[in-house]
Parts: sequence; C-alpha cells; structure tokens
Amino acid sequence: MLTDTGRRVRVALTLLLAALTLAGTLVGQDDDFPFGPFRMYSTRDDPNGTVVSTRVEAVDAAGRVRTVDERSTGLKRAEVEGQVQRFRADPALLGALSRAHDRLRPDEAPYAEVRIVELRYVLRDSRPTGEQTEQVVASWRRP
Amino acid sequence: MSRLLSPAPLARVAVLRVIVYLFVPVDVLLTTTWVRAHAQVPGELYVPLRIGRLLPLPTPGPWVELFQVLLVAAALAAAVAAARDVLPRVTGWLVALLYLEWMVVAMSYGKVDHDRFAFLVALFVLPSVGRAALHSRERSEAAGWALTMIALAVVATYTLAAVAKIRFGGWDWVDGATLTRAVLRRSTPLSEPLLDVPGVLHAAQYGILIMELAVAPLLLVRWRDPRVTWLLALGFLGFHLLTFSMITIIFLPHCVALLALLPLERAVQREQVPA
Repeated sequence: MLTDTGRRVRVALTLLLAALTLAGTLVGQDDDFPFGPFRMYSTRDDPNGTVVSTRVEAVDAAGRVRTVDERSTGLKRAEVEGQVQRFRADPALLGALSRAHDRLRPDEAPYAEVRIVELRYVLRDSRPTGEQTEQVVASWRRP
Repeated sequence: MSRLLSPAPLARVAVLRVIVYLFVPVDVLLTTTWVRAHAQVPGELYVPLRIGRLLPLPTPGPWVELFQVLLVAAALAAAVAAARDVLPRVTGWLVALLYLEWMVVAMSYGKVDHDRFAFLVALFVLPSVGRAALHSRERSEAAGWALTMIALAVVATYTLAAVAKIRFGGWDWVDGATLTRAVLRRSTPLSEPLLDVPGVLHAAQYGILIMELAVAPLLLVRWRDPRVTWLLALGFLGFHLLTFSMITIIFLPHCVALLALLPLERAVQREQVPA
C-alpha cells in the first residue's frame, strides 16, 4: 500500500505531466521537447500544389557527383530540411557537413563542393502529374 | 483518480522492466544508429532545444561515443537488476536520465521525432514502483500507477497527434495530400502503386484521424472488458507495421511501451494458469 504522501505525489505528477503535454500540443513547438506537439505529418499538403523532396549532393575533386545521406555526414534528410533556412542564409555552413564527412568517412574522397537540391513534384488532385523541377537552394565550394 | 492507483501485478512491472531495459541497447546500437553519428557533426549544426538551453548540457562531440557505451552498460545493468529484483530505483532512473540526454543529442539537429514519448514516460515511471520480482503474485498501487501512466502516454501519442493535425493542418487535413507527400518522399514497392490511386490515400487519411480519435474512448472501456486491451494493442502494432511497409517509418520504442497494456506477467507465471 502506498502512503498518503506517495499517493499525493503520484496524483500531482500525473496532473503536472498532463498539463505540460497538453500545453505542448496546444501552444508548444518542437523546441519544447519532450513536451512538444506530436506533429509528424500534421501539416496539410495542397492536392493541387507541390511536394518538396530535399537532397544533398556533393562533388569530389575528380568531378564525380555523390549522393550525401546520413551515413556520409551524420545528418538525416529531415535534419537538413529542418535547418534549410540556415543553409540558405549562410551556405558556408555546408562546409560543416563536409567536415563531418571527413571525420565519418576518412576512406572516401573529400567533398570539393556540397549543395542542397530541392526537387518539387507537381500534384493535381493528389496525384503526381509527372512534372518535376529541381533547384539548387544552397551551395558551398571548398575554398 | 481511483483508477489511476488501482493495484496492478508487480510481476507485470518486472517483465516490462526487463523488456524495456533490454530494448535500450537494441535502439541505441541497431535501430537508431544515426544518433551516434552526431558525435562527428561540427558544433555549428547543433541547434539546442529549450531543455538544452535551460540545463547546462554540453554540445555533442566525440564524447557522445563514450556516452553511448555508458548508456548501453547502464541499461544492461538495469535489466539484470530488474530480473534479480535488486536496486530498481537507482539503476532505472540512471537509465532514464542517460536516455533522455541521448534523446537531446538525437533531436537537436533540426528534426524532433515523436515516436518515443511513451517510452520515455516508461523509463521514468518504472523505477518508482520499487522492488518487483518476476515471480511475485502481489499487486500494488505503485505498479498500477506506473502502468496506467505508460498506457496514458501511449494513448496520448495518438490522441494528441490528431489534435496536432487539426492545429497545424486545419480541419481539412483529411482532404489534403499529406499521405501523397509521405509516399512520394519515402515510397516502398508496396506503397508506390498507391500514388496512382489517390482515393486510397485520401481514405487512409480519414482512417488515421478516426483511429487516433477513437483510441481514447476505447481506453476508457478497456477496464470493463479485457478483450478491448488486446484489440488496442494488436491494432496499434498492426498500424505501425503497415506504416513501416508503406513509408519505412516505425515507432519501435512506442511499440515496446505499449506492451504495458498487456498481461505480461503470464509469460513468467504460465504454470499457474488453470487448464
């Protein structure tokens, strides 16, 4: 049997946790982890709009284009997308991805250039029309 | 409130502890390997969360690799402690704190996941039960509270995901193209053909929102009918497997936490179940 204090503490903790979680969902942001909103796939995509898929690619000294994934730099696609405004504002930050690659993959040729490419699929009635556009939104060249 | 503290089997807590603590090394070493890679990411790409700004948490760097070893060792020690019913509080809360910091390392680079809220709750509440032997026949209020908290966290993950969809996507989230985006970006051989039949993805959006909203009322009735518990647990597991087959995302830690809904003690008390 729990003591009265044990019961009171548990009830209080339950209410506190419920309040924090609810507040996180109603007015919080991801920044409030672990009490932020459960917002995975919560945004709405326009059935007649475009869907963006971001990729990072690099060019080595020999001019070969390489796909950059989380195994190459330690950053996942979603993380690159989460920071894409920073990369756009300050493309030199892509140099940090190149340094991460040097550390994680010392056996591979270092990157001479890194760029973020946004692929946009055009939708009509929630269906991809086949029309796609690609745009480099940030790029960095090894000085 | 009486339900919150209604007694539950200590053995269920013991079994769940062993499963949860053994899952930590699986998560840290096998299924969420990208966290360790943050050790090599330069500090300027670290975007500290509020928790990282409020607490003096260090910027991730090479120490993360040592920290990973520590976390795995602590989890294995906690699993042994749980199986032998010794020092559950110290070993359990140590794992909870280390794992929370591991999550801060994971989520501070521009993307926050929502797949382990219930698992974190489990790590923090399980030690509060105190001693719980695998073969115990006793029930306790402390066990009842811990298991109820985990169940509530599991259910909140769905219910509040529905609230988030309404908050961020609006009431017409169901009529948007969110699943088309999901499949376009992460298609599998199973899901790719669905891009040509948007009606299926559209209907699935209704299905998801209805499911997420129906979970909370179902939880309320599960106390009256144990079959609802099985329906809930198997339904959730099925949903997560289907999601994995479609977009290769699985809420594995969440799936471990939802085992709290089930009568796990039967696994170690089979001999006493009447024929």
